[in-house]
Amino acid sequence: MKPLKRTRDITPLPSRNFKITVDDQSVEACEGETVLSVLLAANYAKVMENDRNVASGAYCGMGVCHCCQVKINAKHKQRACQTLVKPHMSVETLTNRFKEEGIKHD
Amino acid sequence: MTSQTHDKVVIVGGGPAGTAAAAELACHGLKSVIIDEAPKLGGVIYRGPLRKTDSLPHLDDNLKRAMTALQTRYQAHRESIEVKTQTRVLGPEGSNQLLLSDDSGLSRQPYGHLILATGCHERSVPFPGWQLPGVMLLGGVQLQLKSGLVRPGQRMALVGTGPLLPLVACQLHKAGVDVVGVYEASPFAKLAKEAVALLNKPKLTLSGMSMMSYLKKHKIPFKYGWGIVSAQGEEQLSSIHVAPYDSQWRPQRDLAEQVAVDAIGVGYGFVARTQLAMLLGLEHTYSKVSGYVPALDEWHQSQNHSAFVVGDSNGLLGADAAICEGQLAALRLAWQCGKITESELFSRATKVNNKLARIKKFRFGFDRFSDRQPGLLSLAQPQTVVCRCEQVRKEQLDEAIAQGVKDITSLKMRTRIGMGDCQGKTCSSYALDYLHQAGLTENIGVIKPRFPLDPIPFTLME
Ligand code: FES
Repeated sequence: MKPLKRTRDITPLPSRNFKITVDDQSVEACEGETVLSVLLAANYAKVMENDRNVASGAYCGMGVCHCCQVKINAKHKQRACQTLVKPHMSVETLTNRFKEEGIKHD
Repeated sequence: MTSQTHDKVVIVGGGPAGTAAAAELACHGLKSVIIDEAPKLGGVIYRGPLRKTDSLPHLDDNLKRAMTALQTRYQAHRESIEVKTQTRVLGPEGSNQLLLSDDSGLSRQPYGHLILATGCHERSVPFPGWQLPGVMLLGGVQLQLKSGLVRPGQRMALVGTGPLLPLVACQLHKAGVDVVGVYEASPFAKLAKEAVALLNKPKLTLSGMSMMSYLKKHKIPFKYGWGIVSAQGEEQLSSIHVAPYDSQWRPQRDLAEQVAVDAIGVGYGFVARTQLAMLLGLEHTYSKVSGYVPALDEWHQSQNHSAFVVGDSNGLLGADAAICEGQLAALRLAWQCGKITESELFSRATKVNNKLARIKKFRFGFDRFSDRQPGLLSLAQPQTVVCRCEQVRKEQLDEAIAQGVKDITSLKMRTRIGMGDCQGKTCSSYALDYLHQAGLTENIGVIKPRFPLDPIPFTLME
């Protein structure tokens, strides 16, 4: 597993932290953070592919726009900006049910 | 309402308004429950860092003081305030309950009295390229700085209007971001005209000036009368075009400049978050600054449901005003519950109201300065998507209006705007402005909030 580097933290991470995986890479995270903060810290701008197959990044950052939905622990459509990280969490970006299950729009 | 639970005051939203209301209620012996979707009290503005940190080198003292003040307000009365964080209100259930969801499942919250302090969210202004990863709303940028302690980009510009622009620019720069430009849509002359209004809050005006000099000292260009035209990038944002705006905020495209960036913050205003108030059946009226806001009496109480609505969720006035409004509602409620006399109510309320009046004068100065002009609507081109969730393009709005659509519900049926995951929170203010611009102002309605206000995960239904 390739480790992901966090390059965008404003203050150092506390010493007690843990790892989560993002798209099969491991990255450090700590208690209290949102999944979105971890993604941004690791330089992920593009996080979601929506139901209309358009890629997007976090836009409102506060749970309103639904533009940051990722798959967390195998569950689709979790808002990265509204979910706190937990140890061993597995996050997948740019996943979408429509794409994965071959569902087509009219 | 005889049993104890039925007398409970339930406050939705733990920002400045909700927390101030709870603390004031506690002063008069009334217990309350605050429900907030975030992990921490404070609201988007004063929540502060979500992870542990020893210092906050990028945040100014005013903000740190206000964050501490809010926590102190709560701590002083914590015995009387029950706090349910990471809990979402899905909507009303029956006549005196709310349906909630949290990690452990669905639950009901009965209430005797209700105070809504649900705040606001940002107004979206579609422009070519606004869907590119890296384009964020100003509040989203701020949340990453203040709560996430993360830089949302390395080379950033800010576009929009209002006092948040210099504030966020300073925070970004102190956080180590290369801030390449700040573009304020309104001309400086308009701000100068508001000098008298701004003197109602001399401290804030001074801190605004010191922010401007900070930007100057660090050679961060701040351009009045300029704004966004478009954003470009392959997979993600790599540059933007900005141009001088005329008095109607129409970009002078021939003078546009290209600026290389990897992220931007866009902030052309806010909208009151009134979905829950609407679901409760409160009457609403349209305001250009805040969108649809509930009709309330001078105590911020509604006629038809007797719920209080305080803070930005009944009209945008900012955090200081939100605190005053929370206190006013709490005082009124304390009087209604027989905890204070009428003379106590009025003497205390007069003080709060005087403070509120000063804040309003200041705020209205900025509102006039930042009054959004019709040119913003012209940024989106025919092919530009205006509803992200359903990928509805602007030309589809034009087509629908040409075919005779006259209200927002028909527009929704015809084009699918507002039907996606965000339930129209992102696109509806643009759509309303667009209908207004087409000359449709009578009975255009609102995109009706749906129950549940927040998606219920399947796992909670099993
Ligand atoms: S970024 Fe808007 S919901 Fe997460």
